[in-house]
Amino acid sequence: MTNKQRVGSPPENKLSENGFSRRRVLQMAAGATAGIAASNMSAVDVLASESLANEIRKNGKRVILLWLAGGASQLETWDPKPGRSTGGPFAKIQTHVPGIEISELLPKMSTRLGETAIIRSLNTKIADHGTAYELMDTGRIAEPSLQYPHLGALIARELGRRDSKVPDYVTMYTSTEGRREGTAGFLGGRYNPMFLTDSMIPPDIRRLESISDDEHRERDALRRLVGDAFARKHPHSVFGGHNASYDRVRGLMASDHLFDIEKEPQSVRDQYGPTQFGQQCLIARRLAEAGVPFIKVARAWWDSHGQNFETHQELCADLDHCMAALLDDLKSRGMLEDTLVITLGEFGRTPQINGSLGRDHFASAWSCTLSGCGVRGGTVFGKTDEDGHTVVDGEMNAGDLFATIFAALGIEHDKEYMVGSRPVPISDFDSTPCYDVLT
Amino acid sequence: MRFCIVVSALTFTLIFRSASAGDDVRVLSEKIDQLIQQPLAGASPSPLVNESAFIRRVTLDLAGRIPTIAELDRFRSSESLDKRAELVASLIESPDFAFHQRNELDLLLLRRIKRDDQWREYLLEAAQENRPWDQLFREVILPEVVHPDDTRPSAFLASRLNDIDSMTNDSSILWFGVNVACAKCHDHPLVADWTQAHYYGLASFFKRTYRTRKGMLGERFDGMIKYETTDGEQLDSHFMFLNGAMVDEPGHGLDDETLKKHQESIQKAEREDEAEPPPSPEFRPREKLVDLALHDEQSFFARNIANRVWARLFGRGLVHPLDQIHSENPASHPELLDLLADNLHASGYDLKKLVHAIALSDTYARQMQMTDPSAPESDNTTPPDDPSLFASALPRPLTPYQMALSLKVATMGPSEMVGLPAGEDWNQQRESLERQVDHVANRLEIPDDNFQVPVSEALWMNNNAHVQNDYLNRGQNRLVGHLAQINDDTQAIQVAYQSVLSRDPSQAEQSSMSDYLQTHADRREPAIGDLVWALLTSPEFRFNH
Repeated sequence: MTNKQRVGSPPENKLSENGFSRRRVLQMAAGATAGIAASNMSAVDVLASESLANEIRKNGKRVILLWLAGGASQLETWDPKPGRSTGGPFAKIQTHVPGIEISELLPKMSTRLGETAIIRSLNTKIADHGTAYELMDTGRIAEPSLQYPHLGALIARELGRRDSKVPDYVTMYTSTEGRREGTAGFLGGRYNPMFLTDSMIPPDIRRLESISDDEHRERDALRRLVGDAFARKHPHSVFGGHNASYDRVRGLMASDHLFDIEKEPQSVRDQYGPTQFGQQCLIARRLAEAGVPFIKVARAWWDSHGQNFETHQELCADLDHCMAALLDDLKSRGMLEDTLVITLGEFGRTPQINGSLGRDHFASAWSCTLSGCGVRGGTVFGKTDEDGHTVVDGEMNAGDLFATIFAALGIEHDKEYMVGSRPVPISDFDSTPCYDVLT
Repeated sequence: MRFCIVVSALTFTLIFRSASAGDDVRVLSEKIDQLIQQPLAGASPSPLVNESAFIRRVTLDLAGRIPTIAELDRFRSSESLDKRAELVASLIESPDFAFHQRNELDLLLLRRIKRDDQWREYLLEAAQENRPWDQLFREVILPEVVHPDDTRPSAFLASRLNDIDSMTNDSSILWFGVNVACAKCHDHPLVADWTQAHYYGLASFFKRTYRTRKGMLGERFDGMIKYETTDGEQLDSHFMFLNGAMVDEPGHGLDDETLKKHQESIQKAEREDEAEPPPSPEFRPREKLVDLALHDEQSFFARNIANRVWARLFGRGLVHPLDQIHSENPASHPELLDLLADNLHASGYDLKKLVHAIALSDTYARQMQMTDPSAPESDNTTPPDDPSLFASALPRPLTPYQMALSLKVATMGPSEMVGLPAGEDWNQQRESLERQVDHVANRLEIPDDNFQVPVSEALWMNNNAHVQNDYLNRGQNRLVGHLAQINDDTQAIQVAYQSVLSRDPSQAEQSSMSDYLQTHADRREPAIGDLVWALLTSPEFRFNH
């Protein structure tokens, strides 16, 4: 079954037109102030409103992607080979799931695999950073003249609500290594990410000090008056779409507190720890809780061409701690069954250890994990040979991984978008979800 | 503000330049209207826009910015019977036209693969002398032959050099209007015209391209592509153009040793700054491509650019989408597309003339569709809503430079626009204005068919200090400061509408804006800023319509 939808004329357009006339009625009935009050609902108010809360519960699935930029070593994480020439100095440990062993560098995760599936059989072939990044963030090989949307934009499009009061695609990438913004490609700028680079707060989300909140609100009401009047005169949805983007601004501004971890109790902050990665994981949880469908937290510096083992000792400790804290926190809040947590990078690292005691780029047999929403926990899928050079069982490519992610979230993995006259499937041609890791 | 001088210069030109279009331009323009009118079969197109809407539309299209209030005044107060044609002619001849043309060509050919100021300078020179499109094509595809000492035009290929698929497909899309990407892995599933042989045929022309450390392009002495069909058959590519025309390679005639020496010399030049220029083969595939494309009876080359110019001015191609020129996607008005393509060819690919003719047509000057729920259905007076009929204008999002320049022009102080000495170097002023807005233009989304204003832009317009400090600057020589000096609200509102939206406010708008100013009389200047901001953030400003 495929489900074709034309890009650019989503059914939401209709919604916005209804919203538009409703607003108009409100304004006619009670003057412009009614519109102002409606637009000033904070994210919390939205959750409190019953009908909207139902809608969020219905579509309340979300994704947190922990992006291991530069490429983490599968041998020092999810697919250890101790005792082999490729194995390196670290041991493996038995996890709480009988039969599953992971690297000793992930002790906390070893006791928390109950909701996590490990995939050890990625063969994505491409091992240069730029191309592999595109591949692993779009689920397919880049194609000239068609800009594919990144995963976050696809999820925002599928799980987000057009008039959402919170952002629907947030990406945090404060390290300088491999900083890439991500794009909505052919889905259009509506689904571009809110991108945090040099600050923990998104750009332009806070009011300038020179203008008061009342003034800001009144100015916005005036804009509505002008913009809506113009859109009413012409039957072109682009004008309504323009107004809809502006209509989201005050809601998004009201969500700025989501980026402020000072609002969390100290005990929760302690749980995530003091590292930047930990703090951003906590922000990610806050955003997910408020209904943001896709959050990417990038952790850089995995590209360990030299000193692979020291590097992984340090970075795995951070990953292990933060990932465990995030899963614990989501679980204790009852959010884990609706939140899919992915750990993924652009590729893994070579089994061979080079002269600088490093491992180089390697995309032929590497690992990732899926936890939470839709995932059959406590499982390992796929197998590499005893030295980790090749996949011997359950080979998956990037398209299959994307199809699996969509299936976990209840999104039809073979639905198609119409881009001009061309049907483009949401996951690459011939991709199959890996049902072994799905509930 | 230095730009103010520019404005008076335009005023100056409007007075003194004789505004005339050649007879051939007028004839073409009338023919356009006839061919658009015929398929309407009696249904009425939308009426023509009023003069305010016309000057906004045509100034955005020909000068790449909204008109200044001085230009608006001058046009509206002109009593000439032929004032639209005069306006079009003066804009076509204005320095702004070349700058805008440069920005459009840069957007078309380089997108944002990279920002290349030298390339932009080259495009500007080309636009300023209205260099024929076929000549530009030759320079860009064959830079090392046409301009051996100038690396600037090589940016088109150089920026795609690492990826032969981009070089092939982007070239095909942008110069010939044909997207062959689907035929890379298999014959096109929907369009019988395009087979793998076409894809690899076209790719073969680019395959041998390399670039030296010094930035010159060259071609190797050999190299073809092997590809596999869906049946698993291994094939060698041939030099073949989209129309099926092929070129046989005579063979380089070199012995192995010489060939090897040449190859080494090319490798050296790719690596080293100081290397000798490597020898060039006599058989140059890209040269053959240019020849084939310019002597193609199906005229992909001419139809593509005619269609793109049309789409630029109407928001939709005669063939739509623009990269789908093939037998199963006929033009909405085939005769018109042929006419425009033939005309271009006959005029020596004079793009300026084509733009001029279109801008003079009634078809170009039609209103957008209006929402009118009271109109009875199937009423013959309602313009048909099929956009491919071009019975009404379509909304077109402003391009990054149109938007960035218009924000700047809208918020200049009107008092600074009059009375300055005319005749200053206008080119230089426009250039400096473009540099001032570069950083804004570069952050704006490039519009495509599915354009939606991104929420990041809305956030930026709401909360960025640049908007507050520049566009809403309260200095006396800026719009907000100027309006604050006008004591009469009615007049201030009128000037605001004219400056930003290039029209007068309606009575209803006058009264709601007056209400706003009166309610905020205690903070009149900021309230005027609010008013200007609300107009700048309206869809009416964000689109050409």
